[in-house]
Amino acid sequence: MSTEVIKVTINGKAFEVPKGARLIDVCRDKAFDIPSFCYYSDLALQASCRMCLVRIEKMPKLQTSCTIICTDGMVVTTQSDEIEKAQRSMLEFLLANHPLDCPVCDRGGECELQEITFDWGGLEERFTEEKNYYPERYLSPIVANDPQRCILCKRCTRVCDEWMGEDAIEAGGRGANTVIGTYGGWLDCSQCGNCIEVCPTGTLLDGTYRHQARPWELTQTISTCTYCSDGCQMSLGSRGGELMRVVARDRYVNGLNGEFLCIKGRFGHPFVNHEARIRTPLIRYKKGGKLIPATWDEAIRHVAQKLDAVVDEHGRNALGVIGSPRITNEANYLLYKFATELVGTNNYTSTDAHSLKPFFGNLGTSLATHRDIRYAKTILIIGGEPEELQPLTAKQVRQAVRNGGARLVVINSTPIRLVEQAAQFIHIRPGAEEAAVLALANNSNDALTVQKLGIQATELQSLRDTIAKTEGDLIIMFAAELSAAAQAVVAQLPYALRASGRRVLLHPLPLYNNSIGAHDMGLMNGAMSATQMFDGAGDTIRAIYLAGSFLPEQLQGHKDALSKLDFLVVQELFETATTAFADVVLPAASFAEIDGTYTNNDGFVQRVRQSIPPVHQSRSDWMITAQLALELGMDFKFELSASAVFREIAERVPAYAGLRYPVLKDESNPVQAKYAIAEQRDLSSELSALREAVQALPETGDKLTVTPEVGHELFKIGTLTDKVPQFHLLAAGNPRPETVRVSPLYQIGSKS
Amino acid sequence: MFIGAIGCEPLQLARVHLDNSTSLEVYREHGGYEALKKVLSGMSPDDVINEVKKSALRGRGGAGFPTGMKWSFVPKDSPKPKYVVCNADESEPGTFKDRYLMERDPHMLIEGMLIAAYALSAKVNYIYTRGEYRYLIEIMDRALGEARGAGLLGKNILDSDFSSEIYTHTGAGAYICGEETALLSSLEGMRGHPRMKPPFPAVSGLYASPTVVNNVETLTAVPDIIKLGGEAYQKLGTEKSGGTKLWSVSGHVNRPGVYELPMGYDDMEKFIMEDCGGMLNGGKLKAVIPGGSSVYIMRADQIIGKDVRMDYEGLVAGGSSVGSGGFIVMDESVDIFESTRNLTEFYKHESCGWCTPCREGTDWLVKVFRRVADGGGRPEDAQLMLDLCDNIEGKSFCPLGDAAAWPIQSAIKRFPEDFKKHLVGTNGTGQAANS
Repeated sequence: MSTEVIKVTINGKAFEVPKGARLIDVCRDKAFDIPSFCYYSDLALQASCRMCLVRIEKMPKLQTSCTIICTDGMVVTTQSDEIEKAQRSMLEFLLANHPLDCPVCDRGGECELQEITFDWGGLEERFTEEKNYYPERYLSPIVANDPQRCILCKRCTRVCDEWMGEDAIEAGGRGANTVIGTYGGWLDCSQCGNCIEVCPTGTLLDGTYRHQARPWELTQTISTCTYCSDGCQMSLGSRGGELMRVVARDRYVNGLNGEFLCIKGRFGHPFVNHEARIRTPLIRYKKGGKLIPATWDEAIRHVAQKLDAVVDEHGRNALGVIGSPRITNEANYLLYKFATELVGTNNYTSTDAHSLKPFFGNLGTSLATHRDIRYAKTILIIGGEPEELQPLTAKQVRQAVRNGGARLVVINSTPIRLVEQAAQFIHIRPGAEEAAVLALANNSNDALTVQKLGIQATELQSLRDTIAKTEGDLIIMFAAELSAAAQAVVAQLPYALRASGRRVLLHPLPLYNNSIGAHDMGLMNGAMSATQMFDGAGDTIRAIYLAGSFLPEQLQGHKDALSKLDFLVVQELFETATTAFADVVLPAASFAEIDGTYTNNDGFVQRVRQSIPPVHQSRSDWMITAQLALELGMDFKFELSASAVFREIAERVPAYAGLRYPVLKDESNPVQAKYAIAEQRDLSSELSALREAVQALPETGDKLTVTPEVGHELFKIGTLTDKVPQFHLLAAGNPRPETVRVSPLYQIGSKS
Repeated sequence: MFIGAIGCEPLQLARVHLDNSTSLEVYREHGGYEALKKVLSGMSPDDVINEVKKSALRGRGGAGFPTGMKWSFVPKDSPKPKYVVCNADESEPGTFKDRYLMERDPHMLIEGMLIAAYALSAKVNYIYTRGEYRYLIEIMDRALGEARGAGLLGKNILDSDFSSEIYTHTGAGAYICGEETALLSSLEGMRGHPRMKPPFPAVSGLYASPTVVNNVETLTAVPDIIKLGGEAYQKLGTEKSGGTKLWSVSGHVNRPGVYELPMGYDDMEKFIMEDCGGMLNGGKLKAVIPGGSSVYIMRADQIIGKDVRMDYEGLVAGGSSVGSGGFIVMDESVDIFESTRNLTEFYKHESCGWCTPCREGTDWLVKVFRRVADGGGRPEDAQLMLDLCDNIEGKSFCPLGDAAAWPIQSAIKRFPEDFKKHLVGTNGTGQAANS
């Protein structure tokens, strides 16, 4: 929008507004409320609900304010008898075939149709005819549908198309018989549920929460998603110590993701109150014996004695402390503090196999925020699959291309779904991402990189042309598990690629909600990685204190490493392949039960807030560590205050300087950590290391030519998603049940 | 069934009676493609547009927008391709003129489109027919093939630098696809929903490129405009409504058919009583819908002795409009409540469902009509129907909402007695009999 200012008159008052402003936004901004259903910011205009009609001087008819761009001297009336009649009549029309079954509708109490009817509608109903009827049905295990309630605003079809790029739902039929439906009668998509979120009525419904609670019974708590590194803000709706649902509805929460969430964020929460949660501390008194319930005092004492004994006998470095990319900054920080200040061991790390330390150590620019992505001019994605692993980032990329005209370049060995939006797809050999980084750094290795990437030289030229022509933001994302040298080169790319009028921003795509926070807390400064600890198990490493679990694939080939340990203590929500080797298991509280912070891939430090009390006897991870420290003779002096822990983090971690919980209070203005910007430096050693690595790459290897199926990562069963029955149906290929009238859960057997 | 001209030399209908009228040979024998030849040998695109402007040709699809002006809105400097799209989705109840033109004289349409394509520098053009006119596609495709074979279509037409291609395309049978932007959506392969205007198709139409959408009858008028010259063509009609116009006459007349009349033809009464052979079985004229179902219905006393002139201005003065020229004559045997109900069922069935007022309004209106027809009328229903129409009119996304409201409004106002007798309700319950 330009900075030029024009004058408009609304209801007799003169205002100065930026040129190009949309009338409905201007009116609302100036406190002239205008009702609307179909208008939704940053979606294609629909202008079909006809609620936002206004009178504009010199125009023959009432105009929809959502379609009008303000012009200089425009004279607008938003309130008059004529407009009021039009608004009332539109609501009367919308309610004619609406079933008015609000008392049994999940949306009753937070329904836009209800609210706008209260505010703008007429008092009496003149429609006495029979209403059109459609049966309720399920569109998928997760999306329930009551077509009668639909007002055909088509927000759902537009978010499906524009946000998700999936186009899985569309209107069928015609006129008053129009029904939003699926292709083939069953919803085959990533099941993000954004259609449910943006529905202004109770037409599309959360199939996992259906008839479970009324909105006003729920306590809404704003928190941060615990799945991927995008850090979506969400509202946890709880009742009586039970987490009932998760929404991003903007009446409750207004974060970087707007109303966007993915299937995991929105529907992946039932693990919180799941019956399989570990209820009490568990002690395995004898190797090979059973885990036996114990009291907290007993367990903490037991752990303290054992750790003491290991350190006494084998030295400080025999104890490995391992944090997690999935727990809060507070929890990771205390593990770091425990390892470095109390134990004094050099061996501490995170379960995350991929350290971003070389990247942050050479960072030549600030991290791109999701907003930056939406308004970027060129986006370059090296490796990864954001559609499945960082869905909000993928949505921002899609909108940048569709609505902002950005050029997207995808460098990948697989034709991922985002390729559909890409201006250029550089299809490389599997594992050749490092060669792409080398090619970006300079063109002196083109003969080599072209050969190893398996592409034409012209493809690199066209990529460089795109970069050279970029005016505005160039954002480079990288998801590949890059080597230290490649990370350093990427981190320094902004110095090489920026120009006057062109800003270069970087956006790492780590896998976990707090991968970046775990780095920031210092866990990556330890002497050993988790794998190295496995290798030293029973030898240099005699005991491990672990928060969370290893992924089954990480344990592959290292199973007996854990059994070689003298002592393994694990903080967990559920019994896992890792706890099977644990001598003590301490029940940790989930994200919904604790206060803390996560740091996302924008570098935003965002709050995690307690929605329900810890279930059973579980405790916050950092409290467990503090209590263990106390037992070992060191009082961290945080009492029960996560805020006090964070204060110490802010004092010790330079990037977090000055941050406090009150500063992080407003989720609509997230605060970015101030990472130190490294000076431009000589990269010749990194480049030669990179060149060597690239030279070692094979020159054969088939590129993957099939676009991976929607959900191949999203629906994957992990420890947490395992607790959601619907995920099992989706992972099993989302079979269409015999009848769509009943939830498929009751028709198709599932594991849980 | 009469097909011919009254009060003028036939232009559009000049060849429809000939044997093999669809063939290129016959078309050329009767002056076919001479206009195209004239255009390609010396006229500039602007000359063509100017002739069309001078002709005062107004769009024959229903809205009556001046064609030359529409063409001049296409930005010449746009780097995008330009398209000419022929709207052959003739779906207005009571209208069947385009069908005869395509069925009997397809080359006239091809020639008209090519001249338009030349004027607008369009390389690709489409003829979009309604699904029910599938059989016309065969006729059109055959004619297109003939033209292509004779160097009249495709690359270097008539050995000039001008190249342009025409393709046919059928809709799936939806009234809304006669609305130009919905037609373009359908042509692009999407749901046939209207699009927001502005941008108008002239700026951003088919595939977001400059596009002119013209009715069949509009395009078939173009060769004669070129042959006669714009001014001469205009003089056949009136100052603001140039040339001749086809009227599809149906209903209670002795001689229904397609009539070509000069614009400004004097007296609708004479047209019905003499030209159309008078009322069927000596019946008494009750009502006329002169321009397809979407215009105001006229009472007999608005016609008899009123000298209603048959052109755009004359019909507005007479209380209706030209619309698509679907001229429906009704005698005293017709119950206007029933005929209006029938039309409302049509509009409900054809409402595309995009916008609230048209979708819900027509559904509601039909439900009221059905209840009343079923004996459940209430005296206040007339007021209710008028209010519902008022709530649709001027508030819908595209003009078809207005088109659904106007016939009902005019019927209730002009034939109150026909409604009154139903609204008292034969069962006295104010409810439908079966509810």
